[in-house]
Amino acid sequence: MGTLKQIGAPQTQSSSSSSSSIDSNNHPSRTPPPPSSPSSSVCRNRTDLSTDLRLGLSISPSSQSESPFNSTPREESFDWPPIKSILRSTLVGKQSHLSQRPSLFVKVYMEGIPIGRKLNLLAHYSYDGLVKTLGHMFRTIILCPNSQPLNSGSFHVLTYEDQEGDWMMVGDVPWEMFLNSVKRLKITRADRC
Amino acid sequence: MNYFPDEVIEHIFDYVVSHRDRNALSLVCKSWYRIERFTRQRVFIGNCYSITPERLIQRFPGLKSLTLKGKPHFADFSLVPYDWGGFLCPWIEALAKSRVGLEELRLKRMVVSDESLELLSRSFTHFKSLVLVSCEGFTTDGLAAIAANCRFLRELDLQENEVEDHKGQWLSCFPDSCTSLVSLNFACLKGEVSLGALERLVARSPNLKSLKLNRSVPLDALQRIMMRAPQLADLGIGSFVHDPDSEAYIRLKNTILKCKSITSLSGFLEVAPHCLAAIYPICPNLTSLNLSYAAGIQGSELIKLIRHCGKLQRLWIMDCIGDKGLGVVAMTCKDLQELRVFPSAPYGNPAAVTEKGLVAISMGCPKLHSLLYFCHQMTNAALITVAKNCPNFIRFRLCILEALKPDPDTLEPLDEGFGAIVQSCRRLRRLSLSGQLTDQVFLYIGMYAEQLEMLSIAFAGESDKGMLYVLNGCKKLRKLEIRDCPFGNMALLTDVGKYETMRSLWMSSCEVTVGACKLLAKKMPRLNVEIFNENEQEDCSLEDGQRVEKMYLYRTLAGKRKDAPEYVWTL
Repeated sequence: MGTLKQIGAPQTQSSSSSSSSIDSNNHPSRTPPPPSSPSSSVCRNRTDLSTDLRLGLSISPSSQSESPFNSTPREESFDWPPIKSILRSTLVGKQSHLSQRPSLFVKVYMEGIPIGRKLNLLAHYSYDGLVKTLGHMFRTIILCPNSQPLNSGSFHVLTYEDQEGDWMMVGDVPWEMFLNSVKRLKITRADRC
Repeated sequence: MNYFPDEVIEHIFDYVVSHRDRNALSLVCKSWYRIERFTRQRVFIGNCYSITPERLIQRFPGLKSLTLKGKPHFADFSLVPYDWGGFLCPWIEALAKSRVGLEELRLKRMVVSDESLELLSRSFTHFKSLVLVSCEGFTTDGLAAIAANCRFLRELDLQENEVEDHKGQWLSCFPDSCTSLVSLNFACLKGEVSLGALERLVARSPNLKSLKLNRSVPLDALQRIMMRAPQLADLGIGSFVHDPDSEAYIRLKNTILKCKSITSLSGFLEVAPHCLAAIYPICPNLTSLNLSYAAGIQGSELIKLIRHCGKLQRLWIMDCIGDKGLGVVAMTCKDLQELRVFPSAPYGNPAAVTEKGLVAISMGCPKLHSLLYFCHQMTNAALITVAKNCPNFIRFRLCILEALKPDPDTLEPLDEGFGAIVQSCRRLRRLSLSGQLTDQVFLYIGMYAEQLEMLSIAFAGESDKGMLYVLNGCKKLRKLEIRDCPFGNMALLTDVGKYETMRSLWMSSCEVTVGACKLLAKKMPRLNVEIFNENEQEDCSLEDGQRVEKMYLYRTLAGKRKDAPEYVWTL
């Protein structure tokens, strides 16, 4: 235990002499997990255990460390911190989600205005939300494709450039399909369409 | 000896409900033992291997409600190998063979097979309530059997189980004649359920008070269900993803306004950001809020939500609420009794909660008695303040995410802080330690923690003295679980009689050897001393001097168990 204790407080040369009767050399389970552990690319020795802890690696000294390292690591037995595995699996999924939030920023230009904006399409769930946001951003009213322009001069419609380079009216295909094909958006005057 | 006829004593015993009191009654004299055993309806077995089912049935023929616990607590953290044990099957078989009219079964950390569920569903006509917590081994087929065959089922409560989904539409197996449901919780299931069957089931269950959905139930179905069950008091939301502009959302908002009786809310297994305003109307009535699985809710939204929850008594949240957010909790939730703060990432978010949040809570919530707190750091000063502010703690579980971390201000171990807790909280029954700790903290625990029943220790202590302080001092200790501590043979063997006064002892990655365990097993025949030899090498001979990686011992009247896997050696 003495080894781990010293490691745990790397900033202080802990003067409390932990008079542990353990000779760590005799205890194979204290060797660090095998280098194939996914999160480590550095060959580790015992002094790196505190770094391991901060990097979020399992330091389980269980029999895992005994077995020859596998190319595909065994089901990692995360036993620290002590949270239930069912809760842990919820987090692991979400952590990658939160740390790199999926986003799809596309350029949006309004006809007649040289400086464009950028918008995260994935912050919206449907055309309604998108059109509302753009309407606020550009202070105009954007018509949906099927409505008749009442006075075509002062209204706009939304178009997008798809993967093939064609400019299409927004709103014809399902939202998810639109997300897959949109490259950028343009707000054009209604009487131009 | 008896001044009253048996019937009168029986009648008096009817008023004695708690397990401990009942156990005490049975020890008074032979006649009371006899009367007590025939009138006992509820039995709690904290360790399923401490007694055989046959013996239990023989003593309590009037058994109606049974609670069983299987694997040791550290199994929750993957420390107990797969197939260690805790099988339900022999219990159900024995009960089915007998004439026990089982009505309630509550299981924790047991291995439950579909076959046992099937047998259970067919063997007890008046079976009413099944509660499974942290169990595994069954599939939705087993649930289908329960749904189909238990004609008077009132409660099916699945909490945090590992259930294999067989896509068999288990929910549709509730017959049309089943109208007795009071509580249904399937939040932990991963698969889809038939939404139509679910809605019809809710519609024909006028007594349904508690409903917890899984993530496959979308928002529009939730809205229809809530329309049909305005009497719900306890709701677990599955999926809460919606477009704030959509009609479904507007309908939901209106429906929520009608659900005046909801006092407990949980789930939000899938949640889109900025959606929570819909539930603000319910918040002022809530006494219990569990958002520990709601990984999609950001800290700022949590805080906005909490501001509406003035009546909360129980709050389970994630640490993304932050110290500031806990300050809001302290200001808003004056009735708070139980708080759990879970890490939002396995190693926590450094901007999350620290000692400051806990101090704020202790200042604002004087009724707090149960705490589970995962944090990035803790100081002695904070713990001392908390101890002064909240002397009523019954459960105090602190987990500093970085093991062995000292007080960041003084760089000292946290002995004094925890010492203050045990000295101030005289009613403390459960304690979990973390951070850098020497033997001193155990001296304090042994001296002051007179009511302590369960103690969890990890990466702490310096020598055998630590463990001995606890074993000698804590007279009411029932469960002791230790991992990665330098406690060895001397600590283990000094007072072997102590273990018969306890339910169990777990020691992993400590310094006990095979020889010491063998000696202990020899001295104490009424203990099962199990060591787990997970070494994959062929040569499995255990030498006395060899260190034991995992040891689990427990008192038992059932002798060595016969269902242990190969790697478990009962000495």
